[in-house]
Amino acid sequence: MNRFDHQWQKLTALARLAGDTRDTAAPYGFATRVTGLAAATPAFNPRALFERFALRGLVVAAALGMAAIVLSYSTITTEATDAYAASDTVGELLDLS
Amino acid sequence: MGDDSFDLVGCLQRVRQHNQSASRELVEHLYPLVIRIVRSHLPRRAAEEDLAQDIFLKMFTRIEQYQGAVPFTHWVSRIAVTTCIDQLRAQKRRPEFRWADLSEKETEVLDNVLTDERDVAPGDAMEARELVHKLLGQLKPDDRLVIQLLDLEQKTIAEISALTGWNKTLVKVRAFRARRKLQKLFKELQSKEKS
Repeated sequence: MNRFDHQWQKLTALARLAGDTRDTAAPYGFATRVTGLAAATPAFNPRALFERFALRGLVVAAALGMAAIVLSYSTITTEATDAYAASDTVGELLDLS
Repeated sequence: MGDDSFDLVGCLQRVRQHNQSASRELVEHLYPLVIRIVRSHLPRRAAEEDLAQDIFLKMFTRIEQYQGAVPFTHWVSRIAVTTCIDQLRAQKRRPEFRWADLSEKETEVLDNVLTDERDVAPGDAMEARELVHKLLGQLKPDDRLVIQLLDLEQKTIAEISALTGWNKTLVKVRAFRARRKLQKLFKELQSKEKS
């Protein structure tokens, strides 16, 4: 044991001698107040919590999905048209353009 | 908690059936256990009754999850300890430890501890406890909790692990880190004492 450990143990051993003489009984009305508050508080339900966050996640995902479609709509439609035009083999053969 | 004849199992059953009288009996039975934990780990400026109330409210909201794998008092103790640690974490700044903040008696006790040749008197226990709390106030909340449980309440690593939910290695690491910080504080105090 080093010097610090010895000093610390000496101090904590002395601190432990100071017993706590304060009353440990519940104050008057404490139990009634706590049980009243507990009765008014809904019980913790992990499943309900999961459902709540899952639903929120679904809403956010749907919103993001919609936003992605709206923002890239013009790109998608342009690319689709270009692709169609590029692959119009019949038109090329017959020189319809 | 001194009432050995208290029927905890029966009381819990009635509490689960939303019996208000049983709930009150349970609070009164467990209050001494909870308040001792709160007083040991009470953050600065926190009201012990408010913290005890939070602990009991958590206990009631989670009571359906109690499966009986551990004694009910251990389960409640764990709620109490984790609530206290959350409160300790919430207080960001730790007051700076200054030699000038110590009372004359605390300085004397510290002097006696730092100079190994002098013995400490049992009459100085209260000052020693105050001094220890001031020193522990300089540690990170998690480290403080470990040292408090280990050195003041003399709990084993396994008991601390069960109370906090931290694995044994983490408890040992936190104890090591806390002692190193305390050692640094002691060195600073010694140098201030000499100057």
